[in-house]
Amino acid sequence: MEIKFTLNGKEAVVVCEPSLRFIDLLREKLSLTGTKEGCGVGECGACTVIMNGVAVNSCLVLASQVVGSEVLTIEGIANGEELHLLQKNFLQAGAVQCGFCTPGMVLSSYALLQENSNPSEEEIKDAIAGNLCRCTGYKQILDAVKQTAKELNPSAKL
Amino acid sequence: MIDLKCEVLTPNSLAEALQYLANNNEYTKILAGGTDVIVGKTQGSKRFIDSNVLVDINRISEIRGIEENDCSISIGAATTLGEICNNKIVGEKLPLLKKAASMVGSQQIRNRATIAGNFVNNAPCADTVPALLVYDTSIEIKSHNSERIISLQEFLKGPYQTQLQKEELVTRIIISQKEQNYFGEFYKLGRRRAVAISRLTLAVLIALKEKQILDIKIASGAVTPIGTRFPKLEEFAKGKIMTDVLCKNIAKKMGEEVLGVTGLRWSSAYKLPVVQQMFYQLLKGIER
Repeated sequence: MEIKFTLNGKEAVVVCEPSLRFIDLLREKLSLTGTKEGCGVGECGACTVIMNGVAVNSCLVLASQVVGSEVLTIEGIANGEELHLLQKNFLQAGAVQCGFCTPGMVLSSYALLQENSNPSEEEIKDAIAGNLCRCTGYKQILDAVKQTAKELNPSAKL
Repeated sequence: MIDLKCEVLTPNSLAEALQYLANNNEYTKILAGGTDVIVGKTQGSKRFIDSNVLVDINRISEIRGIEENDCSISIGAATTLGEICNNKIVGEKLPLLKKAASMVGSQQIRNRATIAGNFVNNAPCADTVPALLVYDTSIEIKSHNSERIISLQEFLKGPYQTQLQKEELVTRIIISQKEQNYFGEFYKLGRRRAVAISRLTLAVLIALKEKQILDIKIASGAVTPIGTRFPKLEEFAKGKIMTDVLCKNIAKKMGEEVLGVTGLRWSSAYKLPVVQQMFYQLLKGIER
């Protein structure tokens, strides 16, 4: 089956089985290995991508379901060599340790900030509740997202 | 690399979907959010492993979205829980459903999982079921040559079992507008605060006049084999004056009724007092 969709702003066409998981399409067919697979059952959020504006687990989406959609992966977050504000703040706050959860964390936070540039701490926690991190204890990640919200929105609550 | 190795049919209209289901066999499954079906297939769950044709209902606009008219609120079966959480009508008119939906899984899960998927799968712990039950929810079910509307309570047969026939699709969820003013609360207990599978869910709706209970609707989930209403207890409470003693009494009876459904289990020593205490607190919250 021909899978045509918009990936990180560009048109992508992949020929594969319709029942291939989307994460495998990204990693194996397109060599976009920034999207990680942790649990494969929708619990850990390492495979998070943004599909039609919302965060989804790419291990729970089939290739055929992506046809015609708009997808953003971690590879599409930076502007060329210039890191996205979230990425800069993740580095600054020490929110990246082993790095395995980072792409998912950044994308879940990105989806939140797209919808709500002035989130409360509870709203940030809710947005990343589906992303597990076993290194940082989450504090640094929260700090990074708060800092980004502040920079995006000078009158931020946080 | 995991390929589910099945045919995926993607109908663009309801008529097309119902035709696919009419031609279907026992190996066909409906695919909505995929948060049960895809996990079930990749994990080799007995309920899903044999299905080799998936009918993906995500592109059917007729069964998405939320509409309100004078007599009812109608929710398309393939509306995601995320859409339900963000919907203004649901927020104003069906606050218990909003709360229950917002406690399902994570943001990523809610962005895919659908409202009908929650009760068609009919896991004991399906969070939205007790909330839908206290709203006296009906569901519209269609096949290529039939159409019926039945109550959700009647639809749910047992754990992971419903009345849905293999050629049928749940198309809409219908909730009647109430004449009276109801106040309610939904409570979920899991092993942690977020992204948890429910151990206990409770939903209650009460119409009060002064302190008199004009009407009361009570439902539980997870702690009972499937989401269920408590008609005997509702009858007991109806017409009575809501006092602290009555709240305690209802809560005590609620525990006894739950125990009556489940029988004595290893977890009863914990769950019985928790059901009673939580239900008491829900009632007290509404009383205030």
